[in-house]
Amino acid sequence: MIAFDANMVVYILEIVIGGLFVGVGVHFVPVGGAPAAMAQATGVGTGTVQLAAGSGLTGLLSAGLMMSVTDNMLMIVISGAVGAMIMMDATMIVGNWVYIYGVGVPPVSAKTDYDPITKDPQPPYISPGTVGHGIPTVSYVSGTIGGLLGGAGGSLIYYSLMNINENPGLSGFFAIGIFVVNAVLASYNIQGTIEGFHDPKFKRVPKAIQACAAASLIIGIIAVLITGGV
Amino acid sequence: MDMVSMGLLAAMGALATVAGASEDLESDVGSQSNPNSQVQLAAQVGKPHRIYNKAVSGEPPSNALYAALAAVTASVLMSGYGMNAFFAIAIGAVVAALFNGIYSVTAYMGRNTSQARFNQHVYLDILRTHTTTIMAHAYITVFCVVSISYIMTADWLPIQHPFPMPLVAFIWGLAIGAIGSSTGDVHYGAEREFQNYPFGSGLNAANSGDIVRKAEAGLRSSIDNAWFCAKFGGPATGMAFGLTVFLDNWRTTIFDPATQGWFAILTGVVIVILFNVYNRILEVRARKRYGPYPEYAGEIEA
Repeated sequence: MIAFDANMVVYILEIVIGGLFVGVGVHFVPVGGAPAAMAQATGVGTGTVQLAAGSGLTGLLSAGLMMSVTDNMLMIVISGAVGAMIMMDATMIVGNWVYIYGVGVPPVSAKTDYDPITKDPQPPYISPGTVGHGIPTVSYVSGTIGGLLGGAGGSLIYYSLMNINENPGLSGFFAIGIFVVNAVLASYNIQGTIEGFHDPKFKRVPKAIQACAAASLIIGIIAVLITGGV
Repeated sequence: MDMVSMGLLAAMGALATVAGASEDLESDVGSQSNPNSQVQLAAQVGKPHRIYNKAVSGEPPSNALYAALAAVTASVLMSGYGMNAFFAIAIGAVVAALFNGIYSVTAYMGRNTSQARFNQHVYLDILRTHTTTIMAHAYITVFCVVSISYIMTADWLPIQHPFPMPLVAFIWGLAIGAIGSSTGDVHYGAEREFQNYPFGSGLNAANSGDIVRKAEAGLRSSIDNAWFCAKFGGPATGMAFGLTVFLDNWRTTIFDPATQGWFAILTGVVIVILFNVYNRILEVRARKRYGPYPEYAGEIEA
């Protein structure tokens, strides 16, 4: 039975903050959807939710392992973030291998004339009829940040739920649910494809923050009540 | 760190590599995930084909379902009937492969019958030969993923993950689907489906749907596609999933999270930085090797 006290508000707030991390993190993940899988658009050739969930939940596994041995919140959240970043980076590196060695196209962005990080010119390397291909440096760094935020958000939600019920299985399931709700909301905001933080679509983040905050608050209250055993 | 943990970690990495490769080939034979859009489009632009067409769902949810299903079956057999883990996981994987077969057949028949007006037929010989190939690959994938999950959660083994086995299998299933969809499928979608266009041209949007339908002899089937992708896309996917499973667990194996947690985190951060540096090297080499597009006429210089 859960006690109604100030701690409960703190737990709900942690879930909301975790949800916001996930929602904003998804905007950083460079995904090109189906066109990217045909080397027709810049980014990873899959869906936003798919990649964000894959990395964020890998981070959740790391956070779960860490939480079984420590109560240090910072350590748990950072461990989750690092786990997610490793998955994201390994995927993007191998994705670039396939683009470069398997398909024969250099990584290039079509949303910017010069890579904001390396200052490399982009348009001369774009194949005609496509809007870029592969994962250039700016998108790669953006994806790493996306993994960091997604992993940290998922871990924070898990940490909060674990403090309420101390049941790893139950908390893990609810953390996955809350994670996916926020990832799906954010991907509606992106509308399928985004190249990273340099993409004009990234300016839509404030809308996602509002939507994810509202959704996380509602689902956070429900999650705390259900997993707390009211 | 002890030798048993290190050996188990190596086994997990090897299992993950095999799982990644078979997962990608399973989706290539069935044309699941993003390249499916071209297979679906081909008939609509007047190019009916003999490629297997199953879009069950995105790869992550479907693989998460198969892995969780197998893990639940295995858990029940182990805890309820005291079955040996090896046989329990094998039976679990059979159940998951059967579900995969049901979804594949219904997806293929549903998709192709709905395209009858474009002269796209349901080929029973394809259904008979390809479905079993898809199920066999799914079996390998699920067996490996559930084995990894078992190693991470079994009471008598050193890695004691707090999540129940089906949840760990669910998460790894989701991750393997995300990786397969992001890496190996590009080799199938961008290269194998469009081998009739020059290597390195990407896919011009105007050519969408014009997939290769003829093989060296006769008509191309999806098993030909798996043969081609097994040379690069499949193993590359295995590499990505193997790296993820190995590196993520390696840092908590060499440093005990209970006493050296920060070292484990720091190792992870170093790995991430190295990945970023390597990607830059890869990008520079690719740009240098391929050079700018020859007929480029814009104002920005390469």
